[in-house]
Amino acid sequence: MAGGTDLLPKMKRREIEAPKYVIDLKGIPDLDYIEYDHKKGLRLGALTTIHAIETSPVIQLRFSILAQAAYLMAAPQVRNRGTVAGNICNAVPSADSVPPLLALEAKLKLMSQKGERILALEDFFTGPHETVLTGVELLVEIQIPPLPSESRGIYLKLSPKRSMDLATVGVAALVITEDGLCKDIRIALGAVAPTPIRAKRAEDIIRGQGFSDELIERTAQTAAEESRPIDDHRASAEYRRWMVQALVRRAINQAIS
Amino acid sequence: MKQIKITVNGKTHELRVKPWATLLEVIRDDLGLTGTKEGCGLGECGACTVIMDGNTVNACLVLAPEADGKEITTIEALAQGDKLHPIQEAFMEHGGLQCGFCTPGILVSTKALLDENPNPTDEEIRRGIAGNFCRCTGYTKIFESIKAAAQKGGR
Amino acid sequence: MAEYSVIGKRLPRVDAPEKITGQAKYAADYSLPGMLWCKVVRSPYAHARILTIDTSRAEQLPGVEAVITGKDFGGWTWGFMPATRDEPPLALDKVRYMYEAVAAVAAIDEDIAEEATELIKVDYEELPGVFDPEEAMQDGAPQVHDHVKNNMSVEYHWNFGDVEKAFAESYIVREDRFRTARATHGYLEPPAALAYYDPAGSITIWPAKQSPYFHYRHLAACFKLPLSKVRVIQPYIGGGFGGTKNDSLAGDFCAVMLSKKAGKPVKFVYTQEEELTTSRRRHAMIVYNKMGVKKDGTLMAIHSRVIADGGGYTAIGPLTMYLTGFMTTLPYKLPHFKHEAYRIFTNNPIGAAMRGHGITHTRFACEIQMEMIAEELGIDPVEMRLRNAIDNPEPGTRYETINKVTLKTCGVKEAIKTLSEDPIWREKDKMPKREGTIAWGVGLSGTSYLSGARLMGHQSCGAMVRICEDGTVNLITGATDCGQGSDTVLCMIAAEELGVALEDIDIKRVDTAYTPVDPGSYGSRVTVLAGQATKLAAADAKRQLLEFAAKTWGVKAEDIEIKEGIVSVRKDSEKTMPFSRLARIASYSGSGAVIIGKGYSGYGLEPLDFSSGIGNGGTSYSFTAQLAKVGVDMETGQVLVTDFVIAHDAGRPLNPVGAEGQNEGGAVQGLGQTIYEDFIMDKGKTLNPTFLDYKMPRSTDVPAIKVIDIITDDPDGPFGAKEASEGSIVSTPPAIVSAIHDATGIWFKELPITPEKIVMALREKGEY
Repeated sequence: MAGGTDLLPKMKRREIEAPKYVIDLKGIPDLDYIEYDHKKGLRLGALTTIHAIETSPVIQLRFSILAQAAYLMAAPQVRNRGTVAGNICNAVPSADSVPPLLALEAKLKLMSQKGERILALEDFFTGPHETVLTGVELLVEIQIPPLPSESRGIYLKLSPKRSMDLATVGVAALVITEDGLCKDIRIALGAVAPTPIRAKRAEDIIRGQGFSDELIERTAQTAAEESRPIDDHRASAEYRRWMVQALVRRAINQAIS
Repeated sequence: MKQIKITVNGKTHELRVKPWATLLEVIRDDLGLTGTKEGCGLGECGACTVIMDGNTVNACLVLAPEADGKEITTIEALAQGDKLHPIQEAFMEHGGLQCGFCTPGILVSTKALLDENPNPTDEEIRRGIAGNFCRCTGYTKIFESIKAAAQKGGR
Repeated sequence: MAEYSVIGKRLPRVDAPEKITGQAKYAADYSLPGMLWCKVVRSPYAHARILTIDTSRAEQLPGVEAVITGKDFGGWTWGFMPATRDEPPLALDKVRYMYEAVAAVAAIDEDIAEEATELIKVDYEELPGVFDPEEAMQDGAPQVHDHVKNNMSVEYHWNFGDVEKAFAESYIVREDRFRTARATHGYLEPPAALAYYDPAGSITIWPAKQSPYFHYRHLAACFKLPLSKVRVIQPYIGGGFGGTKNDSLAGDFCAVMLSKKAGKPVKFVYTQEEELTTSRRRHAMIVYNKMGVKKDGTLMAIHSRVIADGGGYTAIGPLTMYLTGFMTTLPYKLPHFKHEAYRIFTNNPIGAAMRGHGITHTRFACEIQMEMIAEELGIDPVEMRLRNAIDNPEPGTRYETINKVTLKTCGVKEAIKTLSEDPIWREKDKMPKREGTIAWGVGLSGTSYLSGARLMGHQSCGAMVRICEDGTVNLITGATDCGQGSDTVLCMIAAEELGVALEDIDIKRVDTAYTPVDPGSYGSRVTVLAGQATKLAAADAKRQLLEFAAKTWGVKAEDIEIKEGIVSVRKDSEKTMPFSRLARIASYSGSGAVIIGKGYSGYGLEPLDFSSGIGNGGTSYSFTAQLAKVGVDMETGQVLVTDFVIAHDAGRPLNPVGAEGQNEGGAVQGLGQTIYEDFIMDKGKTLNPTFLDYKMPRSTDVPAIKVIDIITDDPDGPFGAKEASEGSIVSTPPAIVSAIHDATGIWFKELPITPEKIVMALREKGEY
């Protein structure tokens, strides 16, 4: 447990069996850091709080899509305790930090007594609340490769209320431009599939092309088709699909404006 | 049972607590400081907001052993004896409270907000207390109180 | 124009110092030595027969000191009226809504109490449930109660004038179906109490109740004790808003019964999830409204048919359904009115009162329908309202509706005119209609609410004013401040009447052993009725004091006045003394005089008949006109409400800060129930019982709110007062719905208007 802002409510609501032991990770030294190097990129220790990410000058400057997500998460008291690592490992499909991290092509460093392994974030989730973490592994670091300066990322969170709310749909779009064309694009979606996903078919449509309204629309539409939302008490699948389309369109337009 | 040492409002206490007790329970039941309230127990309402090592947290989501060695500030520390904190004065003058149940949490969050940002914009005020739910006031007079406290140099 | 020393001034709340320092004690903050913790066992089924309950394992758990089931209450049931006593403290033969309480334990700590609840084995026979009121009304539907047919909890049929003839003579007749949200009070403080049953035969309890005297009667009846032996001591209360904290709950009865069995004090505190799944809620209602209007916009007739989801028990249902109709004849002149009200039992949580009560639902339907008709006729919304609104009666006269609702002041026309001159209304046609994906709209509403609720049955309300020998004053009243600020306004009334400063008046929490009876906080009655009692009590005390002054100075009492703490003879500037001196003279006069003034509210014995809808449900009526400005994101359906302007006729706001706060708070609750709040139910199960998922407005969701006072000085309220706490929750939903229509061209008739509903409607319209 790092911040405990997901674990404790689950325990209190009896959503999980009462654990025999809860291990407080905060006692482990050297796990709370934000390190940037223009060659290696960004490294976040597992105990980095959401508040630290929201307010970090280097993240705001160079990886602002992640700071945008942190800004939109929960409320001050929760951001002060909660960690992005916890948000990732909690593995809810609507986790706000994950679509931006997917768009940033983040990797995770997992450690166990047997050693360590590096895993693409994309390969981490297997289903709602399910990850590839074995029972003896710990997420210790989040690694984000450096980005060229012509990149711009936008995270949009759709929720009825403007704070303290869950994403009905989360859209992250990271666009790298060169000579006015789309050199590269990464689109990631949250809350519209069993896990957060990259919308790779959508990306293929506009990658290498110019940013015409028509292409952006087709990209957005394809992203909507790639999503696999369900009906639940918060929203219907149909609405979520339309919102993917609307938000992807918006995010790309904002990224290139 | 676990042995912990916490400093609350400047006083250090050595306590024996159940490992699953929350900081909120310790503050209210072991230390008798009932100003901090339980609203939802899930970190969604902010009624239990305290300052721990300089940051606001929901005490209902902090296990007592996690608070070992920490400095906690609760609502009871805002006034200095008879003398009210400028934030408290502002809330009293501008009617920033009705039933008062959310008020301790709101005042603690306001203190943290103004300590970090002495001249917040309207938007920053709204965001600063977004973790504190109020059902009575509609927030209007809370905003006015916070603005007035900021103008008074309310730190 | 009256000049007051205290009334109308912007003063701090009398309870602010305790609340801002964290010293105010709420029910959960109380403890007694040896106290036990109570936890409640709840049914996992919405409708089931209870076959057996085995408590043996729980009883054997070390630390458990008492366990009770429904049988311990001997078959006793309670209810709002003698004929509706259908609710047991713990379920007996059947459970009728999910998580209804069936057993309770008391243990030495919370953890053991919780563990004990898991050891209680209940055998249920699940029964088919019914969850939709219209389905429940049909023959063959599962029956929630055996003593009524078709799950009919309450049924009223009223008829005034001739609606059919009026419809025939109308130029436009509209019929629409409206639906209001499944909403709840959402107070932050979960229900709680600390109870002690003294073996000598008395109860002391510190419960979170906004009507302590209702609770004291319930306990006296349940435990067969005389009222004098039931002591309800009111803690500070963390919000009420009518409904649950007016009523008694399983936790209350169980804490007392467990205390009786264990011989120790027992405390219970509901979790917020318990609160959101099992406490009383606002009724969700379907309103079939038919309205007929002449070509010039004159309202001819309304025929309303209301179907309310009553949930498992009756609770305050009879009053709720009465309120759905009796004020349909306000604020617009209505010559013909027919009303059919049905409250239906279902296996959902219990529907009861909430701020605005039954009036919110039908006023919403009528306002929107009137706007739809205005649109069809091409009449401006302001004009439409002004043509129909009731005029402010001339002083000394009153207006009477067809169902014998009478009023002496009515500021609705002035309120509407004031808003028509507000920049937001004036500029609405000049402002950009569309900015990117945001469509802007402005809406108007004109509504009314009752003030000083008069119910049937025992509604006594008294106050005492005790003059201390140093000139300070104790105000002793059974009126309950649940946060709305009534303690402050009652102290202001006492101070004004006596001629002293607000700081000189002290008021404590209600204690049924010492404070005179008062029904508590509901129906916007405290300022008007307890205020009247307070004013009379203060006047009584003043009269007694003035006798002493008259004797001291050898003048007539009527020549003496008290103002701002100074007693003086009107035409003789030599004869003055401070109030404190007069108090001492009176107290030490050697005659044994103890200066206690008393007064009670004479609320009148005019007829009031729920089954025919005739008579005054209130002492007076407030009027509210409201503007709402909204921006609708036409792609996502999200609604941003940027401005409310509320023009409220409260007669005279005695405590302006308090009245504004009430208008602001009520409007934001109304906002919540218009676009955000709804319990999503699945066969009796609440799917969203958390603050995260039952979406109440946070600080980042609320508009800028401006409150404008419309002064009408009502003769039936102390210093001209009428209510200021519920009007804005009635005026807000129609104003927002009207604004959303202005922005999108769509009339929404089902609340809440979620982003998804907006997008669906835009798609249907072909505008997406």
